[in-house]
Amino acid sequence: MKKFFPVAAILIFVAGVFAPLSSLFMRITPESFAQVMSSPQFSNALWNSISTGLIATIIALTLALTAAWSLERTAIRGKNFFTVIFGVPMLIPSISHSFGLVALFGANGWLTNLFALDVNIYGAIGIVAGSVMYAFPVAFFIFMSVLHCEDGAPYLAAKVLGVPRSRQFLDLTLPYLKRTIISTFFAIFSMIVTDYGVPLMIGGKTLTLSVLMYNKAVAMMDYSTGSVLGMILIVPALIAFLADVLNPAPKQNDFAKNIRLAEKKSGADKIILAFCVILSLLIVAPIATFCVMTFAAKYPFDMSFTLYHVMRTIHRGALDNWLNSLIIALVSSIVGTSFSFALAYFSTRANGLAAKIIHLLSILPMTIPGIALGLGYVIFFHDASIYGTLMILAAVNVMHFFSSPYLMMRNTLEKISANVEAVGKVLGVPRRFIIRDVILPKVRFTLCEMFAYFFVNAMMTISAVSYLAPPAPKPLALMITQFEAQRLMESAAAVSILILLTNLALKIFMTRLQKKLIAR
Amino acid sequence: MDVQLKLQAREISKAYDNNQVLRRVNFAVHDGEFFSILGSSGCGKTTLLQILIGLLDADDGQIFKDGIDITTFEPARRGMGIVFQNYALFDNMNVFRNVSYALQFHGVETDSATRKANQMLEIVGLKNFASKMPAELSGGQQQRVAIARALALEPDIILFDEPLSALDASTRLDIRRELKNIQRTLGTTMIYVTHDQEEAFALSDRVMILERGIVNQIGSPEEIITAPANDYVQTFVIDNLRTKFDSLRKFLT
Repeated sequence: MKKFFPVAAILIFVAGVFAPLSSLFMRITPESFAQVMSSPQFSNALWNSISTGLIATIIALTLALTAAWSLERTAIRGKNFFTVIFGVPMLIPSISHSFGLVALFGANGWLTNLFALDVNIYGAIGIVAGSVMYAFPVAFFIFMSVLHCEDGAPYLAAKVLGVPRSRQFLDLTLPYLKRTIISTFFAIFSMIVTDYGVPLMIGGKTLTLSVLMYNKAVAMMDYSTGSVLGMILIVPALIAFLADVLNPAPKQNDFAKNIRLAEKKSGADKIILAFCVILSLLIVAPIATFCVMTFAAKYPFDMSFTLYHVMRTIHRGALDNWLNSLIIALVSSIVGTSFSFALAYFSTRANGLAAKIIHLLSILPMTIPGIALGLGYVIFFHDASIYGTLMILAAVNVMHFFSSPYLMMRNTLEKISANVEAVGKVLGVPRRFIIRDVILPKVRFTLCEMFAYFFVNAMMTISAVSYLAPPAPKPLALMITQFEAQRLMESAAAVSILILLTNLALKIFMTRLQKKLIAR
Repeated sequence: MDVQLKLQAREISKAYDNNQVLRRVNFAVHDGEFFSILGSSGCGKTTLLQILIGLLDADDGQIFKDGIDITTFEPARRGMGIVFQNYALFDNMNVFRNVSYALQFHGVETDSATRKANQMLEIVGLKNFASKMPAELSGGQQQRVAIARALALEPDIILFDEPLSALDASTRLDIRRELKNIQRTLGTTMIYVTHDQEEAFALSDRVMILERGIVNQIGSPEEIITAPANDYVQTFVIDNLRTKFDSLRKFLT
């Protein structure tokens, strides 16, 4: 059993990640590589991806850091409210963000008409704005959690020594966040560059690498060019991964408990509150526009209430596809949570090479963009019986989203003393009972978070699944691209809302469950 | 008086990568004895303890208990209990269940398990705390639960891995007294790992001084104080104890 488990896990990674990727790379020939590299379309897309990606990353990080600092280090009111609002964009597909922007600032956008604006949202500006909305919450929660864990003692010392607050931020907070800023920068850049949802919807004539790959592989079935582009899109994620591995977090002193900083009211609180309110409005506005659009007779010209668009969306199969998505999300969550728990448990509790290999394999999926993995699955599993079923979509989701929940669980398990198992061994309690009766109850909170992570992402992803999904049955999120292509914007809005509501319901359920678990 | 050997370690060696942690360690513990392994941090005492109970395998050497070679026995078959510094309680279970939990895996009937757990809680003075959760207890009380849990399976040897290090001075003194009482009442052999000279000398029938994986001296506290085997024992044990004693004497005389 001890040997069987790591061997089985390695085989799953081989089948679920390495074999599909290898088949992707094997499609690349020197000729196809040279052809892609020399095409003006490629160099144009590369420049667009890098420039919009860099600008969006810098803006998203600046906003996220300011927002996280505002909620962690000041005494403004409504912190819980802002935390929830800032997290809402994580519950909808990336394409919906740009969709919301179009609804507000597009040719017939509400704000465009209201203020007679002369802005062209289609193109680089739209890609940057949509990408910022898409990436902001991810960076925000990273900064929140790191700031939350910061030791307050140096700040107390600085205060006693008379160091001004602005210098405390420059000399203490920023150096403390340096590592996080670097690794988040690469992670967010990679996330933006590999996403095709935002640029597909709002990019106009500004072509990015991800959209080029989508057009080639999905629309034109040109897997050879798609493979070259897929390989290139792995590079930023690989850099993000290496930045993290080569720049490991320093070990915290476990003998000293961190001092929490007391939140103190200051004159700047009003400015900070205003910033949070404006940011919340910017986040809520596109989502609110979906709602209006879904129920308005002819947005933005005839705003009278109607259920026509909802009914049309249902007639075109939204409910069936919603059920498909629920099945995919539930299977991905159950299988993904169980598998990532098992591997995190093994890698934290076992010693030696096997544990190290399992850990490395578990964090590697972080480096693979969904669109590359999805195309790899198309090539590798094309003749397999699982191809064209919902189960392959669940499988690709499990592998694609595996690393983050794995790291969540590993982090939790590392905090549980291995002496618990040692005591079990000495007392003659079989390990499976220690896991069932002691470990699982201790990690239930994290299990809920992992489940929610898999569910929400499986519900809204359009990256890997876009290549794999058969015409029917397909996941709900893909109906947004379908409706967008058919210019049925109201139906695309209705689908976005349905995904948002489903994810919101799951989040509320999980939060309640977690509260109950804490109360116990 | 005829002393019976309870546990014997012969030529125990252990290395992690190129770091030799234990070098041919030999010692014997008598039945009903309170035996301490004393040494500074990193001297190999915890590694030795884990080898004795079977949580780690030695590279070389053998362990005998009651004359039987138990070197390859699983930890649960060695008839020993262990108490860790960080208690390692099952903190989702109440005090009673922590103590009774393992009994079900040894074929003990529910009634007997209940009786046994209550008896052990009474011994450690926690009978009225049975329904409390570990988080509701003080550090000293949590350590008592860990001791009761170890006692419940009636091991004839209990190993303690720096069990009092995380506790305040007054609780340490209380638990020290209780450990001696338990040892006298139940006759359990106790092997106690510590870096605290005073603790080792106050509790033990005999003390083994370990330095970088090598046994320096084994003897009663009196023997060690009157005839330290070498400079290390003189400095690490006697000089340290004398410094503590001198600093206290200023206030007592």
